[in-house]
Amino acid sequence: MRKTFVAAVAALAMTAGPAGAQEKVVKIGVPLPLTGAEAKFGEMEKQAYEMAAEEINAKGGVKGHKLSFDIQDSGGKAETATAIVEKFVSINKYPFVVGEYSSQCSYSVAAVAEKYKVPYLVVTGAADKITQQGWKYVFRLNPPSSLYNMGVFSFFETVAKPKSIAILYENTDFGNSTSKAMKEYCKAKGINIVLDEGYQAGAVDFKPILQKVKSLRPDIVYMVSYLMDASLLMRQSKELDINPQAFIGGGAGHTLPEFLQNAAEASEYCMSATLWTPQVKYPGAKEFFDKFKAKFGKEPDYHGVEAYAAAYVTADTLKRAKEWTAEAIRTALAATNMMTAFGPIKFIAWDQFTNQNRMETLVLQVQKKKYETIWPKDAASAKYVYPVPRWRDRK
Amino acid sequence: MTPQLAGQIELFLQVVIAGILLGGLYSLIGLGMSLIMGVMRIINLAHGELMMVAMYITYLAFSLVHVDPYVSLFIVLPALFLIGAGLQKYLITPVMDVESVLPQNQVLLTVGIGIVLSNLAQLIFSADYMSVPVSYASKTIYWDVNVGGQTISLSFNFPFLVAFAIAIGLGAALFLFLGKTDIGRMIRATAQDKRAAAIMGINTKRITYITFGLGAALVGAAGTLLAPVYYIYPAIGGPFTSKAFIITVLGGMGNIAGAVLGGLVLGLGESLGSVYISLGYKDAFGFVIFVLVLIFLPKGLLGKSSV
Repeated sequence: MRKTFVAAVAALAMTAGPAGAQEKVVKIGVPLPLTGAEAKFGEMEKQAYEMAAEEINAKGGVKGHKLSFDIQDSGGKAETATAIVEKFVSINKYPFVVGEYSSQCSYSVAAVAEKYKVPYLVVTGAADKITQQGWKYVFRLNPPSSLYNMGVFSFFETVAKPKSIAILYENTDFGNSTSKAMKEYCKAKGINIVLDEGYQAGAVDFKPILQKVKSLRPDIVYMVSYLMDASLLMRQSKELDINPQAFIGGGAGHTLPEFLQNAAEASEYCMSATLWTPQVKYPGAKEFFDKFKAKFGKEPDYHGVEAYAAAYVTADTLKRAKEWTAEAIRTALAATNMMTAFGPIKFIAWDQFTNQNRMETLVLQVQKKKYETIWPKDAASAKYVYPVPRWRDRK
Repeated sequence: MTPQLAGQIELFLQVVIAGILLGGLYSLIGLGMSLIMGVMRIINLAHGELMMVAMYITYLAFSLVHVDPYVSLFIVLPALFLIGAGLQKYLITPVMDVESVLPQNQVLLTVGIGIVLSNLAQLIFSADYMSVPVSYASKTIYWDVNVGGQTISLSFNFPFLVAFAIAIGLGAALFLFLGKTDIGRMIRATAQDKRAAAIMGINTKRITYITFGLGAALVGAAGTLLAPVYYIYPAIGGPFTSKAFIITVLGGMGNIAGAVLGGLVLGLGESLGSVYISLGYKDAFGFVIFVLVLIFLPKGLLGKSSV
């Protein structure tokens, strides 16, 4: 009796021993909006981080450690995101912070990271100012919002050649920053800006302002919208029979799979700036899209792939860092030069930007209820339709 | 008349129409809160979340069994009435009876109810945006008017028009109910003087259950009417709670007719302001009107005659 007991204890100790030794984990802090109005994006990114971590760990993890993302809910509020990062740095002692979603939150987190001298990788926050502060510890994976329009600009110059434009944008860091780039471009090129209006997100009825757009008859209606405002703007434009040469979105809201469902036929032929589509030719892009869709039953948009790429950049940085301290990780992160499913990642400085990744941006168009890449030509999956048919002439 | 002037007139009239139609929906949202305020003297800060619950019921009815949103009013109204009455009976009333440090702890309780409801919704439906894609969502009725030789084309969005009509209908029904029925009179008596009403043999507790149920059903109706033209997500309640609050204060706390007027003023103010001042301050207009009313008409637009 006693013998079997001793044997059992010994067996237990033996199995527990090596298993415990193997379970070395390296944790990275990630604040994300898992509740509140931005929760949809937070959820998508969380799934992408976890999917990437699984893949990385299946291939042996990082230097014998399991990579784990400690994802905490910020509710999309800058104060909460700041508090979470303070906790990450001072209590959890994480040497590296990644993530957040909106520009507001990313900007607040960046300020905290800089203060504590902890490297922070911005993944989706796009307002230009985040990497224009000369901050040493803040790096950005996504291009700044003023570059979101690069594809659209080249489309304007080669194909559209518009004479007038109406600009509607959400009154947020992202909306202001993206629309400002468009305004500066139009002024430089002599495109007449007939309307320039910021709006409060989540409005029920855009018809009053759209009525004004209609009366001004611009060639292009350009919109920067998060969330579902994009669908409402398109639905109500169709309702009011507004017929510019093209509707163009500035990314975000106009690139979501939900946009196609909610705006339904009103989304047809709508164009948008975008950073990524599953049709890009980067290695792993299509695989990511298919795997994500199969695993979670939902299509990811560019926010998902940004998070996925961020996880790989994190793993790569940790592998190259001499030791896992904030300083060493910062040095390794600055030297990043790798290819991801999102595109090539390298942090460089130009103009006022520092530690900023730079990449080509695309234009997509909804054709037959699907997103097709239409610009630049060499990345296109379908030919553009421009000018778009009038609402009444369709079908 | 020049085409330019006609264009300006068309824009103005169209904006006024949009404001009034939206105001009808706002009135319905404000009515429920005002009714609850009038009888229980508490601000129900879970009001927008109750609307969210109604929107999800509408969504489920549409996506699972293809019930038209307007037909689903017959499910939503009783369901929200029961939820509202239940909340009052099992959560709010027990708290009202307790002596507490904070005199307004029922209001805090409603905040908590709101948080629980929106988190439950996220748990069940995830954070995705959902919509009720009815075929008539962007159906529009055009009306051409001839003014001084120029044709002005006015458009009316069908779902907004229906929502406005139903909102007016429900508002009228509420007036009749409060004025002509026994229960309605009991509600008014309770609102005027709870203790005296109790002495007269009115079961004031039961009246509070009914009132909260009615308030929830009204905002539920607003949610169902909004579903075809808007979208649904778990955190949608917050902004609408603050709109309802503005309307309630605008109309005079607890004044039913005032709530209708307050809703229309808010709808008109938002749409006129967004075109003629700036769209970015759309939500600010509501608060500016709100502050002005508090300063110059502290009893609200129609004064504080209760229910």
